[in-house]
Amino acid sequence: MFKDSFIILRKELKRMFTDRRLIFMLVILPLIMLPLMYSFMGKATKTRQSEISEYTSRIVVCTALGSEESTELFLTSLAALNTEVETINSQSIEETQERLTSKDVELLIVMPDNVDDRLLENEVFDLSFYHNSTADFSDFAFSQVELAFAAVSEAVVRERIIEGGMSEEILSVFTINESMPAESYDLATEGSIMGKIISMMMPFFIVIYLFANSMKVGLDSVAGEKERGTLAILLVNQVSRLSIVLGKMMSVMIAAIVGATSSAIGLKIASRYLIGMYSDTGEAIVEYTMTSTALLQFAIIVIPLAILISSLVLIVSTFAKNVKEGQGMIMPVYLAVMVMGVTTMQIGDTPPNWMRLAPLFNSLVVLKDIFMQTAVWGNILFAVATSLLVSAVLIFAILRMFNNERVLFRV
Amino acid sequence: MLRVENLSKQFKGSRGSSAKTVLAVNNLSFQCKPGEIYGLLGPNGAGKTTTLRCLSTLIKPTSGNVFIDSYNVLEHGKVFRSKIGFLTSDMKLDGYFTPDYMMNWFGRLNKMEDDVIQERKSKLFTDLQMTDFIHKKIDKLSTGMKQKTAVAISLIHDPDVIIFDEPTNGLDIVTSKAVTDFLVSRAEAGKIIIISTHNMTIAEKLCHRFGIIVEGEMKEEGTLSEIIEGSNWDNLEDVFFSYILPGGDHV
Repeated sequence: MFKDSFIILRKELKRMFTDRRLIFMLVILPLIMLPLMYSFMGKATKTRQSEISEYTSRIVVCTALGSEESTELFLTSLAALNTEVETINSQSIEETQERLTSKDVELLIVMPDNVDDRLLENEVFDLSFYHNSTADFSDFAFSQVELAFAAVSEAVVRERIIEGGMSEEILSVFTINESMPAESYDLATEGSIMGKIISMMMPFFIVIYLFANSMKVGLDSVAGEKERGTLAILLVNQVSRLSIVLGKMMSVMIAAIVGATSSAIGLKIASRYLIGMYSDTGEAIVEYTMTSTALLQFAIIVIPLAILISSLVLIVSTFAKNVKEGQGMIMPVYLAVMVMGVTTMQIGDTPPNWMRLAPLFNSLVVLKDIFMQTAVWGNILFAVATSLLVSAVLIFAILRMFNNERVLFRV
Repeated sequence: MLRVENLSKQFKGSRGSSAKTVLAVNNLSFQCKPGEIYGLLGPNGAGKTTTLRCLSTLIKPTSGNVFIDSYNVLEHGKVFRSKIGFLTSDMKLDGYFTPDYMMNWFGRLNKMEDDVIQERKSKLFTDLQMTDFIHKKIDKLSTGMKQKTAVAISLIHDPDVIIFDEPTNGLDIVTSKAVTDFLVSRAEAGKIIIISTHNMTIAEKLCHRFGIIVEGEMKEEGTLSEIIEGSNWDNLEDVFFSYILPGGDHV
């Protein structure tokens, strides 16, 4: 039986690795596309960030009666920022608000009346900040000025304390970790810090890459053969249908692993560009190295996961009348797997128990553990066992379909 | 000896059709001896292909059975497949590979040793005049070349029973002759051959016995002279049309 499966596998692999178009899609494209895509995105993000930080914000300050002296205090703090300040009176507020909407200015600050006296009498007053949240520059000006004015507020409080004859130390009760260097109080190992960042996203990427690459080959594997009429000639030969299913499943699994490896290498190359976008993530991928134990655990979990995903794709491919129908049918399954991937991105260090029990979920959670170097062999073996068990059930269902002439020939 | 006994095949009706089931083949019986070419004749939709698919193990009969010697199709599917070579017009080959590669591949799937495959390949390539194109991709071959390749592949394991559905359909006259001559030579070598066709000229020239199927039922069965003697006609074509044309004796 296995001999026949390997004969089928060899033909499928020959098809796969001598078809230039398929090789390009499976191996070359991820190696080129991911670095290209991330470098473009990284460059665009960096350019935008520097555009925003170098931009001279246009800020309008509306003065009020009895607030002349205090307004000067705020204007001085604005002068330290990269801003262009314009002062108006209350009659021009509406017009300035329209300018904000049309993005002609970034921020309008309206001073209340009698701030000078309220300051002297320690009375709290409210400043009105108008901005346009749909404009990046306005958002940036808002947060910048908010910080600058918080510093003004802190300075005034400090002055009041000193004037009251008290020490400014009254403002703080205690500090945390200021007497120690950072590396002495964070007891996480370097690997697990990097792994924490990697473990957030890599299980998601791995499951998506495995699924996407399974689809590239798996949908054509049975549905394509049905469509082209090449399956029937195989079925009238002396090969068992289980051998056909196993041969095809192994070829889809190999395609998934080859494609996912290529995508992972592409991601590693692309990681330097990710630094521009999400600095922690990029650095983590560049610097992260797996221990030999983690690599072994990774291989042990990924192969059954690839078998499970290949079986999922193959069951759809077997049921579908043709590749187009298969593509439509596989989408909900793909989306469900994506949701599982995203869910495991969101969970913390201790996933709920049901996740450790549910097939596919438990492989993703264990992958997370492996990247954080906290994986437990019991969890790994349980995830492997559930993946293989579900795969066996799926292969049994595919075999039933192969023996069902209504599914196979749509008669 | 191949024996078809009371073979029936019923399909579920397609969506939107009023009939819940369709009886594609109804209680069909015939037999065929070694060295004989049996022609299954019938218009489109008569049930010829369904009958041949039941014989090839691709689909299961609803009732009845098919025997090759002491083996039956319901219980000995794998043995059955080792004894038959089956080809229909809707069975295609993977165009990415060459005839030579596909012959090796199917040979291995049929549990043949490499030296036996080489020997068998060389004979089939010569008999079917294929040597010029065995290393070209199947996608690049003409219809006739593809048909010859399909014939060769279906016979790689030297089966006792050869079942071909419309073997000359769509072929030019030269390729058609090459295929029919080859079938005659196989019959002379003691193989059982069953073909389905609409082409009465080919049928008359090639077959020793005939079965005329209309709407899944066997209307006439026997040698050419037996069929003509029992009818008002003097040739097979007229007998055939008498079953299917409006105004025909049996319509």
